[in-house]
Amino acid sequence: MTQAAISTSPTRKGLSNKTIARIFTVPGQVVSLLVLVMPLLVALYMSFTDWSPTRGSLFDAGFVGFDNYSELLIWDTRFIYAVIRTFLISTICLSLEFSFGLGLAVLFMRKFRGKSFFFSAFLTPMMILPVVVGYIFWMLFQSNGPINQVLELAFGAEAMMEWFKSAPPAIFAVIITEVWHWTPLFFLILLSGLNSVPENPVRAAVILGANPRQVFWRVVMPTLKPVIIVAFVIRAMEVIKLFDEVFMLTRGGPGSSTETISLYIYKLAFNDFQLAYGAAAAFLVLVGSLLLVHMLLAPVRDQLLEGDK
Amino acid sequence: MMTKKLSPLQTVIMGIALILVLFPVFWILMTAIKPPTDWNASPAIWVPSEPTLVNFQTLFDPDALGKYGVGGVSQPATKAVFGSILATFIATTLSVVIGLFSAIGISRYGNNSKSTPLIILSGRMFPPAAIAVPFVIIFSNIGLIDSYTGLIAIYVAVTLPFSTWMLKSFVDDLPREIEEAAMIDGRSKLMAHLTVTIPLIKGGLFATTMFIFILNWSEFMFALVLSYTNVSTIPVQLAKYVTATAGTLYGVQAALAVLAMIPLVIVGYLIQGHLARGMTFGAIKQ
Repeated sequence: MTQAAISTSPTRKGLSNKTIARIFTVPGQVVSLLVLVMPLLVALYMSFTDWSPTRGSLFDAGFVGFDNYSELLIWDTRFIYAVIRTFLISTICLSLEFSFGLGLAVLFMRKFRGKSFFFSAFLTPMMILPVVVGYIFWMLFQSNGPINQVLELAFGAEAMMEWFKSAPPAIFAVIITEVWHWTPLFFLILLSGLNSVPENPVRAAVILGANPRQVFWRVVMPTLKPVIIVAFVIRAMEVIKLFDEVFMLTRGGPGSSTETISLYIYKLAFNDFQLAYGAAAAFLVLVGSLLLVHMLLAPVRDQLLEGDK
Repeated sequence: MMTKKLSPLQTVIMGIALILVLFPVFWILMTAIKPPTDWNASPAIWVPSEPTLVNFQTLFDPDALGKYGVGGVSQPATKAVFGSILATFIATTLSVVIGLFSAIGISRYGNNSKSTPLIILSGRMFPPAAIAVPFVIIFSNIGLIDSYTGLIAIYVAVTLPFSTWMLKSFVDDLPREIEEAAMIDGRSKLMAHLTVTIPLIKGGLFATTMFIFILNWSEFMFALVLSYTNVSTIPVQLAKYVTATAGTLYGVQAALAVLAMIPLVIVGYLIQGHLARGMTFGAIKQ
């Protein structure tokens, strides 16, 4: 739904709509151009060269066409594993966050004492800096940390784990950290979705003899579906960029067994100085995730635009 | 629908969830007030024997731990704290002001094209590590590397989509008749927006400012790759502490983490009703 521009006032004072619109939007566009579009173009150009900081100016670098890209997609197992790993971690995290978030949101549709306290408490994790979240869980997962203590109390000494010494537990630690950090976002978005389900159709359906399952799928779900998709898209966007928490938890170790895409690109660029190669990896990721989100987003474009709730 | 109470089982689930959510927060708070003897004890100590504020003191005075016979904090966190405050304060102000103008422009005069969300999303989806690469190169060439100016520029660019769309959703909520009335009274459009629109979305403006503050204060990776000696922020300093001290100075690290957390948690509670709106670019309004 496009809105009509404000009608010209009868007195015809002032500037035309076009000029006003420009005055208002130009600063933001300039900043975006300078600070987002330009670096992206530089990175795009770079990804087709073999430039590295030791080779002087970027424009003296040799043009290598799609070599970086083919290298990544065919030979670079570390990159391919990072992509698969990130995808796996994202899928598990999103499923768990969604399930826990929905469960809690449904409980919040009931009446109980101290509701507003619980609500604030459940939102706390998402307010904490990712770096600090990573650090907290790094402490909790230490071999002499509280998590192992609880495991020992519950299941005996053989249940204690070296969380950061081998791949499966380390990935598990990353997932637990992420789920703790971001379940509140799902909870918050789904709760606001549940609250916006109109009550009258629900009542009418019950009176007309629909069973709870029918009520949920036929009446509640149509309202909830766009909200769920928005939550998934927002979270998917962030989780594929997962960096801060993993950096603090494991630095991608042991070996490269918890390396996410962002962490791999970071190491390529800032540890190995393979900047051009890192840029190519980034564009591959961008194209891939755009396709994914595009598929997810198609049914709810208008929702995102209008946001009429 | 809203009249049912929690069943006993659901109450138990709620209690367990509360413990799981709050335990990590409890742990970091406790660690921050532990004396050095409790830091790395096996088995771990949950509640410190003698709570102390010495860890916080050490952040600004590295010799404060002397009385415990512990050295090893090479760097005070003073610069990082001031750096975080400076960069966050300026970047948040700029982001909100520029975003406010864009929001009014888009909401009142924009042609909402169908592709806009996708454009925003693509900007958000590019791995930050890769955006950082061209920045480092460009900034090295124009002397902005390791400077607050460069850091602030990136902070503004990264948060601008959030401030623009969050504010736009508040402007959208405002009936345009109010502005039109002011225009009919003979005010120019520009004046009508400045004197009518902006005061009427005060609450939204405050919430957006706080939300952008949270984002800027939390930013880690750009600060990490753009800072060497002149510039530091709290998250970068925390990473440095953890690396440099190989996990022995838990108390001091935890104190810095708590210092970083507290403002955000306070601000977060203040604007909890608007968090969903900010996170979803205004798509979800509570």
